[in-house]
Amino acid sequence: MRLELSEDQEFFRETTRRFLESEAPLTRVRELADTAAGFDRGWWLKAGELGWTGLFVPEAHGGGSLSGRPLVDAVIVAEELGRLVAPGPFLPVNVVAAALAASGSDEQRAEVLPRLGTGEMIATWAFAETGSPWDSGGVGLVAEPAGDGFTLTGTKVWVEAAAEADQFLVTARTEDGLTQFLVPAGTDGVVVTPGRSMDLVRRYGSVRFDGAQLPASAVVGDVGGAAADAERQLQIALSLQCAETVGAIDRVFEFTVEYMQERFAFGRPIASFQALKHRVADMLLWVESAKATSDGAAEAIDAGAADAPLLVRAAKAYVGVKSLEILQDCVQLHGGIGVTWEHDLHLYLRRVTVNRAVYGTPEHHQERICRLLEI
Amino acid sequence: MGDEMESLDDFRARARTWLATNMTRRAGAVDAEDLMERSSQMQANLFDAGFAGIAFPREYGGAGLTLEHQEVFAQEAAPYEMPIAYVVSIGMLAPTLLDNGSEVLKKRHLPRMLRGEEVWIQLLSEPSGGSDMAGALTRATRDGDSWVLSGSKIWSSGAFTADYGMCLARTDWDAPKHRGLSMFAVPLQGTPGLTIEPIREANGNAEFCQEFFDDVVLPGENLIGSENAGWSVAQSLLLHERNAVAGVGYGVGLIGGDAEEGETTFGGPTVAELIRLARVRGVSDEGPIRQLIAEAYVQSIVSSQLGQRVMTGMRVGTYKFQWGSLPKLGLGVDVPRLAEIAVAVAGDEGVIWEGDADPAEPSLFLLGCRAVSISGGSNEIQRNIVSERLLGLPREPSFDRDLPFNEVVRNRGKFTGSSA
Repeated sequence: MRLELSEDQEFFRETTRRFLESEAPLTRVRELADTAAGFDRGWWLKAGELGWTGLFVPEAHGGGSLSGRPLVDAVIVAEELGRLVAPGPFLPVNVVAAALAASGSDEQRAEVLPRLGTGEMIATWAFAETGSPWDSGGVGLVAEPAGDGFTLTGTKVWVEAAAEADQFLVTARTEDGLTQFLVPAGTDGVVVTPGRSMDLVRRYGSVRFDGAQLPASAVVGDVGGAAADAERQLQIALSLQCAETVGAIDRVFEFTVEYMQERFAFGRPIASFQALKHRVADMLLWVESAKATSDGAAEAIDAGAADAPLLVRAAKAYVGVKSLEILQDCVQLHGGIGVTWEHDLHLYLRRVTVNRAVYGTPEHHQERICRLLEI
Repeated sequence: MGDEMESLDDFRARARTWLATNMTRRAGAVDAEDLMERSSQMQANLFDAGFAGIAFPREYGGAGLTLEHQEVFAQEAAPYEMPIAYVVSIGMLAPTLLDNGSEVLKKRHLPRMLRGEEVWIQLLSEPSGGSDMAGALTRATRDGDSWVLSGSKIWSSGAFTADYGMCLARTDWDAPKHRGLSMFAVPLQGTPGLTIEPIREANGNAEFCQEFFDDVVLPGENLIGSENAGWSVAQSLLLHERNAVAGVGYGVGLIGGDAEEGETTFGGPTVAELIRLARVRGVSDEGPIRQLIAEAYVQSIVSSQLGQRVMTGMRVGTYKFQWGSLPKLGLGVDVPRLAEIAVAVAGDEGVIWEGDADPAEPSLFLLGCRAVSISGGSNEIQRNIVSERLLGLPREPSFDRDLPFNEVVRNRGKFTGSSA
């Protein structure tokens, strides 16, 4: 949540916020909880019109960023999505758009990027596998050369918006390293099993590859050379996720402090009790720190800084841990109303708890930090 | 000052070149040996090159630039050893004098302070109370054109070698506590009636002093701000203190050290040092130890990012200067936590040493780390400031705010709990 935005970026934040407030208020989020997809594809087209999914898409393919730093711009949207725990596959679509913009073939870029930008096509990244998830070393899905192409065998889990995706970016293992493929949904031998999550509108599913046959043209980037691409995709995913969580805790902190000033006990607003004020002070420290580290990570990734792998993991570790602490304490500060279905707090508690886990827990990334520091 | 202000980019380039040719890169922790002498030489060099008091007006010896330039300088200075001994004098006292002092005092003292020829400290806390600073009992009585000071101050660092102390004293005992205080510039060397005693701390060091004033006579012009307006001068001093401790404001850049490299300014271990300790003990592959080291790393990164964010917020006007309390609170929480991590990682090696060797660093750090969470306004005081001033929550009820101070003193020991 940068303190210095350009006029374009301020305007983008403002239109994003207004759009979400009118088209995806929390009442709408509650309605979508009962739907299979968790979001409405017609609504997603409008999001595309606002430019949400075109930020990483080159201008030649109908996209463009505001500032030349697409991730810093995308973070603005992610923060607003977090403030309203909004639906929609913003994160996975942008991760795939960034991946194709960076490493896709001319054909893939021309075919897919414009349609991701408009919102008519949805793509997601199939990366994690059980056992050693969210880590390139844990990729065991095998791509075997077969004729002119490859055969994919294995299962990907916790794939966001799997059931709605039209394209999967799949990170697989080939003899000489990691290789990524762009796989259309409905390809023979690709079986999607939809799932639900703690979040009311965010769906994850597993994708099984039963010897799915792919042409050589499905390869994204270099055969055996996708490790760096996968790392960058993970960095972008983590950054957008941190930004969304930051938006969520910012909003929850805001309405909790308001509530404490309106709620009276023993003849005083509960915001006047030092035992509670001091907790609020700690939370402001955490919220501001979370904003600072989330922004720091996005800037480092956009700039291709050498320490980006460390900074984005530091951000995830910090934001992941503190966001849940903040949510828990805000529920406590609300008292009984905070644990009801009626109150919106649980929508936020659900979102930040899912975000804490997906794309690697804070504990996972702290271990990765140790490895990066060569401990 | 008709000439145009130097652009940040030009300034950065000039600072970078100058630092590279004139300053020494830091290697490990700051060496306490000869610290004052080294700082003094460095500060004089900085002054001559126009890098002392970067955001101070030129008529008082400063460079006439902005806090933004100061921030840029701090970024460039991070890899170098800087005159850390002047953080208090230049980062806290000089801006307070700039905000509150008379022209006579500012013209006389600020250039000397910025050049490092004159060192100032603060004389605020008293043995009777630290956090409740407005309850000061040290007395200043008018005597013709002079003032006569009596009482005692405590927790001042470096009073032995400093030249001046900024001393808060009570000048009206019939006024309510905040409205009967005045601030004075007190010369500390060879002053008749002044005794300075060191305080030995739990870690064996003696950084702090207690001062006893026995009818110390001060010239009238040593009053800083107006008579009985000392509380607002003290507020200004506390604000600059919090900012300096938190690494924001006028003093930023004096500390040196790159937080992103895990370097700390509080004597705590760097991340590299924690890794070394874990290896010495053979526990660097144990999951819980690795999590602790990573936690320390994350905290050092985030704390530096928060400092930069708050600096930016102050610069663009989103945050008031009081926001320095937020990173100050952060340090007050993080530094003791880092000390716990250090003893956890070091294990026995952190608390036991052979023969006459120097005490193990983790044990010294643990014994001393609370200085950060108590001095400069305790964590609890910072939490009051954050919740009341930054977030606008209701203030703590006060039982003595409106009473004449004489009655507050008399009422001690008869607390009934009813608010005045």
